[in-house]
Amino acid sequence: MNRGVRRLLSELGEGVRIAVSALTGNHLRTFLTTMGIVIGVMTVIAIVAIIDGLDASFASQIGNLGAHTVYVDKWKWINTGNEWWEMRNRKNMGRTELDAIEREASLATAVAPMGGQRTTVAAGDVELSRILVRGTSGAYLQTGGGTVAAGRFLSGPDVELSRSVVVLAAGVVDQLFPGLPWDAVLGRRVRVRDLPFTVIGVLERRGRMLGMDLDNNVSIPYTTFLRDMGSKRSLTIAVATEPGQVDALTDQLTGILRQARRVPAERPDDFNINRQDQFLKLYGQLTGALYGVAVGVGLITLVVGGIGIMNIMLVSVTERTREIGVRRALGARKRTILLQFLIESSIVSAAGGAVGTGLGFGVALLLSVATPLAAAVTPGAVALGLGFSAGVGLLFGSWPAWRAANLDPVEALRYE
Amino acid sequence: MSEPLISVDRLARHYVVGGELVRALDGVSFDIQKGEWVAIVGQSGSGKSTLMNLVGCLDTATSGTYRLNGADVETLADDALADLRNREIGFIFQTFQLLPRATALANVELPLVYRGLPRRERRAMAEGALRSVGLANRMHHRPNELSGGQRQRVAIARALVGEPSILLADEPTGNLDSQTGEEIVRLFGDLNQRGHTIILVTHEPRLAARCPRAIKLMDGRVLGDGPGAEVSALQAARAVGT
Repeated sequence: MNRGVRRLLSELGEGVRIAVSALTGNHLRTFLTTMGIVIGVMTVIAIVAIIDGLDASFASQIGNLGAHTVYVDKWKWINTGNEWWEMRNRKNMGRTELDAIEREASLATAVAPMGGQRTTVAAGDVELSRILVRGTSGAYLQTGGGTVAAGRFLSGPDVELSRSVVVLAAGVVDQLFPGLPWDAVLGRRVRVRDLPFTVIGVLERRGRMLGMDLDNNVSIPYTTFLRDMGSKRSLTIAVATEPGQVDALTDQLTGILRQARRVPAERPDDFNINRQDQFLKLYGQLTGALYGVAVGVGLITLVVGGIGIMNIMLVSVTERTREIGVRRALGARKRTILLQFLIESSIVSAAGGAVGTGLGFGVALLLSVATPLAAAVTPGAVALGLGFSAGVGLLFGSWPAWRAANLDPVEALRYE
Repeated sequence: MSEPLISVDRLARHYVVGGELVRALDGVSFDIQKGEWVAIVGQSGSGKSTLMNLVGCLDTATSGTYRLNGADVETLADDALADLRNREIGFIFQTFQLLPRATALANVELPLVYRGLPRRERRAMAEGALRSVGLANRMHHRPNELSGGQRQRVAIARALVGEPSILLADEPTGNLDSQTGEEIVRLFGDLNQRGHTIILVTHEPRLAARCPRAIKLMDGRVLGDGPGAEVSALQAARAVGT
């Protein structure tokens, strides 16, 4: 090994030993010094963990919509207010558009119409109100609609023949047939808006999305839906595609729909192609602002903590002036002394950062247990906490270290 | 004779204190050969501490030249001076100046750390140095667990361990009782017998008298340079006269 490198390594080793012995030699002072850093890092980590938790839960909830699926609708999902009346007066989305898309959309891998109506669903004495009745087709599952837990989903003939068959979501089974195994539900009779339906399948449990219960609905053929729930309803058409094709699909659908709905060339679209990333964008704007505030608060606390570190390092340099003189006399270069104090300040600070990271996750965990907020522990946040606090130690330790390195050895040795 | 180990020529060190020029050292010249044992003796204010700092490469002169083992010290930058101290000088201080939180062994290893020696080699050399000053059974003690004499022996081991050209001792017996001081002086005698060059800075004529050679300073100038007994007597005569 190169002599200079070896010397640097042995200086680093010595620096770490000195830092550790200085730390362990003065528990109370070390503890108090690091409090600022601990609190700063704790705050940032807790907030970041909560935001990350929210992100993860939001992303997984939004994932229910199907990442590669778009939703053709006369309504825009997220609107800014004054478009409502215009959208209200749009032509309904119906069989014409569905046929056109099924016929012409070459990029589509699955096309499923979806009509929705909240009404009563009953079996025996149990009657549930405001259950979402969805009229759709077999392709619904391929557009991110869930998976079958028992029996089967809607088939082609079910749709063509407008059969009175129904697929129940798990939550509906729980309420209509409490305690019954899902297989035993198949073939049972239920009443949807007082009309008789036969249960042909049960869907796997899915949880909630953005506060909506995804397990509190039933699916029937959309033809049956239009027949029994009213044919004047506007449908939403879910169209799935291959990964990476969502933009191309959107363009293709726009052309098909404008033609099918006979939109004159100079008029804007009278429909919307909704995507899950619209939600993500809106959500990103919200949490982005939250992130900014969190980081700002954290930085301020870290600066306060850093000033604490600087203060204690200045005291430490003064206390050890003679020791610095001795080390210089024995052959330590300025660089050696500089390094020694930088190592000490960054170790003190990083130790505080480690404690703060632990506490921050503790707080986040506590919050996620005690409140509906989710919290996620990500390696990135840990690295951020440790890195930042060590950085603060380096930054605020550099002036004391520079002072130590530039002490005159003769003066330092004489210092009382 | 080959080039002297130390060659000091018209060395001067001036300070400005409160707007007034203080000639702490004002043109001092002498040579010291390898293997000598020299006392630098003088009262407080004579310039002996200033001279020690210059010879120890802790400070640089205002004018004059200082050659140490072939190197022109006055021309060296700070890092080079640090390296020179590490290689050529073994410091022994009046107040021992051991690191309180480190064991005797760790204290003795310190100069070798700054030399970048591997841990194992450092350990072996430090153990050897501690043995040579009679502290084989005190290696893992901290300074506060050692007596004054033992502490000074640790400090001497630390000065010896890097095999420097010069042992530079500043009032090494000043903080010791007379019996322990005597032991340390005898240890210096032994080390000198083994070939070490020793410079002993002191204000005590009695101690200077025990050295084969003494350089007597007064008001920043050399008053006398010769056999220790003679030079210290000279000092004694003048001290009585004033």
